Amino acid sequence: MSGLQDLVAGLALVMAPTMLFHAAWSTLLGIVVGSLPGLTATMGVALMTTLTYSLDSNAAILVLICMYVGAIYGGSRSAILLNIPGTPASAATSLDGYPLAKAGRAGYAMGLATAGSALGTLVGIVMLVMIAPPLAEAALGFGSFEFFWLAVFGILVSGQLTADTTPLKGYIAGILGLMVAMVGSEGIHAHVRFAFGLSDLNAGIALIPAMVGAFGFAEVLTAMWNKAGVLAITKDKSDKTIPDLADLWRYKVTIVRSGIIGTLVGIIPGVGEDIGAWGSYAAAKRTSKEADKFGSGSHEGLIAAETGNSAVVPGSLIPAITLAVPGSASSAVLIAALFIHGIRPGPLIMIEQPHFVGLIGAMLIVATLFMAIFGLSMTRLFIQVLRVPYAYLMPVVFVLCVIGTYALSQRIFDVWVMVAFGLIGFVLRQMKYPMAPLVLGIILGDLLDKSLRRGLTLTDGEILPFFTRPVSAIFVALIVISILFNIPVVRRLALAPLRRIGRWRDA
Amino acid sequence: MLMAKADRWTAVALLALGMAMCVGGWTMDRLEIRQIHPASIPGLVPMILGGLLAICAGLLLRASFTDTMRGSERIMVGGSWSRLGITTAICVIYALVLIGWASYFWATAIFTFGFAVIFSYPVEGTARRKAIAVAGAAALGLGIGFGSALLFEQLFLVRLP
Repeated sequence: MSGLQDLVAGLALVMAPTMLFHAAWSTLLGIVVGSLPGLTATMGVALMTTLTYSLDSNAAILVLICMYVGAIYGGSRSAILLNIPGTPASAATSLDGYPLAKAGRAGYAMGLATAGSALGTLVGIVMLVMIAPPLAEAALGFGSFEFFWLAVFGILVSGQLTADTTPLKGYIAGILGLMVAMVGSEGIHAHVRFAFGLSDLNAGIALIPAMVGAFGFAEVLTAMWNKAGVLAITKDKSDKTIPDLADLWRYKVTIVRSGIIGTLVGIIPGVGEDIGAWGSYAAAKRTSKEADKFGSGSHEGLIAAETGNSAVVPGSLIPAITLAVPGSASSAVLIAALFIHGIRPGPLIMIEQPHFVGLIGAMLIVATLFMAIFGLSMTRLFIQVLRVPYAYLMPVVFVLCVIGTYALSQRIFDVWVMVAFGLIGFVLRQMKYPMAPLVLGIILGDLLDKSLRRGLTLTDGEILPFFTRPVSAIFVALIVISILFNIPVVRRLALAPLRRIGRWRDA
Repeated sequence: MLMAKADRWTAVALLALGMAMCVGGWTMDRLEIRQIHPASIPGLVPMILGGLLAICAGLLLRASFTDTMRGSERIMVGGSWSRLGITTAICVIYALVLIGWASYFWATAIFTFGFAVIFSYPVEGTARRKAIAVAGAAALGLGIGFGSALLFEQLFLVRLP
């Protein structure tokens, strides 16, 4: 009940005219950023973090959340109209959205995407308000042992689920991220590691310049490297942007299921919106009566993908707020932004700021509201946005990458870090190394390092308690299962009984 | 380039990095003078990470020979090398040379103008279209230079480089 009260109190706060103004422009900007191929939600949130230093903490967090929600939704625009997902989260959307657009039903496809995104976010908000407080309370009992395994588990799962080809590349990206976190003064004895005499490295490599480089500069390079898509703007006379309620009601089960899948995927550390969309899409296809229409303009497929990716946004905030472990790359930036604005995410959040989860829920509701309003009313504007040439757009993005990074601590060194991460990030992406585990590694490196050494100090060098404490043992079991499932023989043997049951049922 | 070949080179680089990290962790000051617990030495986690990276690099190297399906995939294809090269060059020059050398306003205006005019100039277009492209790029350069300087200096109180 207190969760609902906090939500209502949060709504009262964010309904102030100034806050509504901030929510409106940042959601609109988020949709524009998300709709432009090459500009992702993570980049939008990272750049926006640099633009919100001077705002008060509530307004700044509202702006970042609206940017996040708007950008994830905005990705559907180019997925539908160009067959190029504006953000990786919308890759599944293009499968059914683009065929609908080619058939002259782009408006209706965008309407369905809007409705799916709004409903998905709402399902996620309900779960956020329900799950976050008890999770934070449970995490209060976590010690160094549990936090160590949580960090290991996060990087492992993120590496496994986000890797395009082989999980090995995901693991390598995660380890590289952890290595970056080893640079600079360590958290227990304040000993400076791997600084090579450079005083700028004493404090380590800051997350924001690294993220702006890996997601901003690298995306500028990727956008200029790739060829532009072709707009599908043929229009059928029967096309409209407001979806039929009957259509939405028919897919109510798909909407709720996709919302739950998206939120649960969001809770898994460092996995992100694209996996939420693909998971929901696959589940909808498996259970649909119209499975044959998937991939050729299915309304259900489009709704499932958009509901799934949008539900990841509130889902990813659950571990971010309660454990300081990001559920997605964008929420990793949000964690950094929370620290900048004096809010300490983690298990103590429910003690230090017990109303914070409700406030975040209220911010998400306002963002969803503006997303729906803009999404349904500004279809033409977004088509125009997609016509902006990269020659004009990309230099503006890069200028913001440079000055935004510099503004953080007014050091030219941070700009160098941004450039280095941009170049390395571009090459790693081309070689199919996922960026999410790298980011997660940077953010969790300190936690992993301190937790391991603190735990070992507490046990006088004994490693057994890392395996015997109940929560630690569960994490260890999950980690072992995750690794073993990558071995084809083990996977085949483990899934054999399920296949037999399936064959028996079919017979 | 084939993915297998790229993976082989990467594996070698990662192996070297992992071993360097491992050695770096091993040789790191153990702070005995401060009588810290031996299990909390600063080099512990770097050593472990270096070892893990070296193992992963070994597995990547092995997979580059055995996984022929993934290895036959081509990387860095389908895009424009000239656009990539020019973008990288002008972005790096702007961020690492122009910023700090010229005033922020002029550095940004020159970079934005240069970027826009290089990628939007219609080489085979009419004189009018060429003039419009140059004027548009100049307006963008001055606008972004002035706008971003104003925003960060006056509103966010940043001392510009």
